Amino acid sequence: MRLSEIGMGRLLRVSSALIILGLVVEIVSLVWYHPLSFVLFAFVGISLIGLGILVYLISLAFVATRSTENRNST
Amino acid sequence: VGGAVIAMLVVQIVLSIILASIFLIRPSVTSATAWKILAFIGLCALPFLCIVGGMNTHMQRSEQTQFCISCHAMVPYGQSLYVDDPSYLPAQHFQNHRVPADMACYACHADYSIYGPLKDKMRGLTRIYMQYVSTPPNPIRIPGGYQNGQCLHCHLGARSFEENQIHAAVMDSLKSNQMSCLTSGCHDTAHNVAQLSHVKFWRPGQ
Repeated sequence: MRLSEIGMGRLLRVSSALIILGLVVEIVSLVWYHPLSFVLFAFVGISLIGLGILVYLISLAFVATRSTENRNST
Repeated sequence: VGGAVIAMLVVQIVLSIILASIFLIRPSVTSATAWKILAFIGLCALPFLCIVGGMNTHMQRSEQTQFCISCHAMVPYGQSLYVDDPSYLPAQHFQNHRVPADMACYACHADYSIYGPLKDKMRGLTRIYMQYVSTPPNPIRIPGGYQNGQCLHCHLGARSFEENQIHAAVMDSLKSNQMSCLTSGCHDTAHNVAQLSHVKFWRPGQ
């Protein structure tokens, strides 16, 4: 599937949702004073936030791809 | 962990959540240049700083005595810090503040090499696995034994340590780890958790 078919808006929504979820996990891990809180943050929180950032960067690549396509068509 | 550091991290997280919520509800706002910059801040820069800040906070927290003894298997080791007997090496260090009381476990058990904190974290994860998935060994043993380097990190160069005739006589063996500081007849009483029911405890402030 090409990035243009997914749409930048949807990518931004997915990225935002992942980041919010990851940050909520981070807050829970900071409030929860337990050895497992580090595991929760390191494996769940960081993965979600990292994936959110990655999706956002992919959306930037989508903008770059779209502007190149527009330039070629004109 | 400093309250100000936590407060700054919380502000970062809240700000990041607010910005991300805006882009979740109305992603179309990013068509304007100013919002594009805000999107980069809210969906890339701030979340990255939140990861760094969170990791730093968790690493510092895991150095605290309270954190170590929050694991069920470590509770008797925490109790052994209050044994009212100077021959108990960890208790003597803890009660006389020869190590910072709030970082007592870390001060004596940390790996002080360049990748030490990372190795310690990996070992910590192994122990969490033993606690929750497998079975913790009984008694708990340090893989590879207790290294003299952890004692020498503080004591080496200290006048009372170096001028002690017994230490001076075996200094090379101690430095090369051929002879353990915990050798029988020297400092051989560490936590000794099996004997905790037979010892007297020190109560601070009494």
